[in-house]
Amino acid sequence: MSIENLNVSNSYLSFKLENETFAVTVERVHEILEIPTVTKVPKSPDFMTGVINLRGNVLPVIDTRIKFGLAKTDFTIDSCIIVLSIMMENEQITIGALVDSVQEVLELSSEKILPSPALGSKYKAEFIQGMIKNDEHFIMVLNIDEVFSINELHQMKENTSETII
Amino acid sequence: MDRFKAVFFEEATTLINDLERVSLLLHNNPSDSSIIEQIFRIMHTLKGNSTMFGFYRIGDFTHHFETLYDYIREGKMSVTDNVLNITFASVDHLRVLLADVELENPVHKINHENLIHGLIEVLNGASVEGSIKSHSSDHTIEDKVSDTPTYWLKFVPEKGLVRKGANVLFLLDDLSQLGATYTVSNIERLPDFKKLDPADIYIHWEIYVSGNITENSIRDVFMFVEEDCELEIRKISETNLLDQDSFTAIARDISLSIDEKISKFSGLVNNSSSKNRMEEVRSKIEKANEKSIVTSKDNSISSIRVASEKLDELMSLVSELVTTQARLNLVSDQIASSELISISENIEKITRQLRDNTFSICLIPIENLLVRFQRLVRDLSTQLNKDVVFVSEGTDTELDKNIIENLADPLMHIFRNSLDHGIESGEERVKKGKPAQGKILLKAFYSGNSVIIQIRDDGKGIDPEVIRQKAISKGLITADQNLDRRQIFDLIFLPGFSTAEKVTEVSGRGVGMDVVKRQITEIRGEVEVESVINEGTTINIKLPLTLSIIDGMLVKINATHFVIPLGNVDKCFEAKHEEFVNKINDLIILDGEQVPFIYLRDEFDIKENCPQLHQVVVVKQDDRRVALSVDTIIGEYQAVLKPLGRLYKNVDVISGATILGNGEVALVVDPNRIIKEYIFNQINNEVLQ
Repeated sequence: MSIENLNVSNSYLSFKLENETFAVTVERVHEILEIPTVTKVPKSPDFMTGVINLRGNVLPVIDTRIKFGLAKTDFTIDSCIIVLSIMMENEQITIGALVDSVQEVLELSSEKILPSPALGSKYKAEFIQGMIKNDEHFIMVLNIDEVFSINELHQMKENTSETII
Repeated sequence: MDRFKAVFFEEATTLINDLERVSLLLHNNPSDSSIIEQIFRIMHTLKGNSTMFGFYRIGDFTHHFETLYDYIREGKMSVTDNVLNITFASVDHLRVLLADVELENPVHKINHENLIHGLIEVLNGASVEGSIKSHSSDHTIEDKVSDTPTYWLKFVPEKGLVRKGANVLFLLDDLSQLGATYTVSNIERLPDFKKLDPADIYIHWEIYVSGNITENSIRDVFMFVEEDCELEIRKISETNLLDQDSFTAIARDISLSIDEKISKFSGLVNNSSSKNRMEEVRSKIEKANEKSIVTSKDNSISSIRVASEKLDELMSLVSELVTTQARLNLVSDQIASSELISISENIEKITRQLRDNTFSICLIPIENLLVRFQRLVRDLSTQLNKDVVFVSEGTDTELDKNIIENLADPLMHIFRNSLDHGIESGEERVKKGKPAQGKILLKAFYSGNSVIIQIRDDGKGIDPEVIRQKAISKGLITADQNLDRRQIFDLIFLPGFSTAEKVTEVSGRGVGMDVVKRQITEIRGEVEVESVINEGTTINIKLPLTLSIIDGMLVKINATHFVIPLGNVDKCFEAKHEEFVNKINDLIILDGEQVPFIYLRDEFDIKENCPQLHQVVVVKQDDRRVALSVDTIIGEYQAVLKPLGRLYKNVDVISGATILGNGEVALVVDPNRIIKEYIFNQINNEVLQ
């Protein structure tokens, strides 16, 4: 399953982290949840907020803010969890991404997505699939497989455990 | 039809597995006629099945094989090593044939031809006049002998038999191979043409067979349709009636009942001297009647075959029930209506029973794995030129089928190691004063809530000092690190450790004991090595009985619920907060005994809302007792284990999660891991200091 195939619908869900707006293709979005009780798992890195009960299954929740170098999410009335499918080592898994607020669903033709600037971005280039200019704002379209990929998570995990020792 | 093919494949796989198991028995008792008979029966069934479903290659192959065992059965050949080798090779090849029915892979095709060739050669070498005869030619010779008994049979197939994939004409063909036949079709049930459904059978047959046959051999022909037809078999004469002049006239007269026909036939038999004999035949017929009219529907069914997905589904439904039941409990406690509480308690009892029952359905005996190991030991010992016997004990010990499935690989690896590195060559053993034949023992038994599997060899053992040196040279430990015996043996399981001096074809496949350990840990098991030099090595594997639901103790630390498996819990106490802080030796006095403790709040990095009074759960691991401090103990809890998922695969102190009655997620801790990790960290700290 490649990302190209999934983008055919041209619909994007936008959400906010602090003051910046990001978007993910709706093809990968299962649902949006209000924040239930989150159980923190001991000995896991900071950006892994914990696990929640999603209709009888255990869903891992990731704090997207920490992944983007921001401070840990403070739960507000707008905070929510976007349930996403991501590909990890050729296997599809479901995760919950904790974000500050969800915005809207945008209908865009693929030409509207501009390549992300190679330089000057404060985020890892692999994270960003492209940019959308919406009114006067830029929205960054995320490559969610990269953002939440296991390699990345492992790397973070190793880093954190190193700092512990 | 595909569905029937699937059934065929499933049955064929079982048959081939049986064949392998029985062949291994034959390997040990080459002269046991009941085993030879069993092999013959299996081959016969497989041949029948495969021909019926149109897998002619398998049918043809098994035919040769069947002939071989037919000869052995009749004493024309004996079971030699050659026969055994070809048997095992055939078992393997049959598996290949199942996977590659049309032999599209040229290697398989060459193998196929070679094996058939080999089989024919073995058969030719037998002290039989002539070479292999096909069954039909066998019987045509016998047909000429006039004095063969005559059987009458009435075959009334069920209307829908053809829809089930059987071809009735094939059956009649098969029957004609048994001897001379005369078939009378009865079309009286044929309906009006307009009502006729071409896919149904309306005809039934009366068939006369004469040949060197018994009732059973006739019955064998109908083996696969037995349940879908009415079959009546009678022996009507000791002589061949079919040759008699007016036989056909009587046989074709459908107005006569079989009893009337028999009496008419008896007039045909010109053997006038035997009135007594007729009587004898009659009484025999009557006796036979009593037996043969019994249809297989009367045989009560003692076990049934169920698709494993159905079991998985049942298991997940039971899990859901257990979760919902926990919720009911919670609600009924809140409402505090005595009526509701009693209902809820009743449901809890039933749920528990249902859960235990479903578990036991999903359990299968370890025996299912053994054939592979017997085979491995046989093949490898031949290859390595070592004489090794495989002994097993407690093979009726049962484990969850998912565990059994995942156990095969690591066990295979352990066996390979034992055979390759553990057991010495014959001469070496004799020099050491041991019997020349090596021995590998697999022993399985229950121990509390777990199953222990022991694999013990009487080989050269492992020297802890060698392990130690090796670990130092690989940088796994430092030279001044003080390790006890068990810790040293545990080093074997570290990634990057492999005791094999040189990589051999047998056990050096690039995987070490760390893979074994990982595979066993994945099914929540534990593995340990114990070894005495020159006496042998024992590998202990401890496994949970099941993977999906556990009895646990629900505890709380701050806002988080944890479940400690009840099997590990020894006792519970209460202790003041001060008893845990500022301790140098991490020991607490409980019940007058000193017990080492682990302060879980520190261990799990939870700082908020520390209570003054803690509750303490003493857990047992092996012979060690360790106290775990928690905030509060809530009570006993049946936890349906849910995986935490791949994101958390590095968090090994938590073995899973479970959903509580109020919808929150509780984490299931693995006390053994916590203890091990704690000890490991302490050692590390000592090293650092």
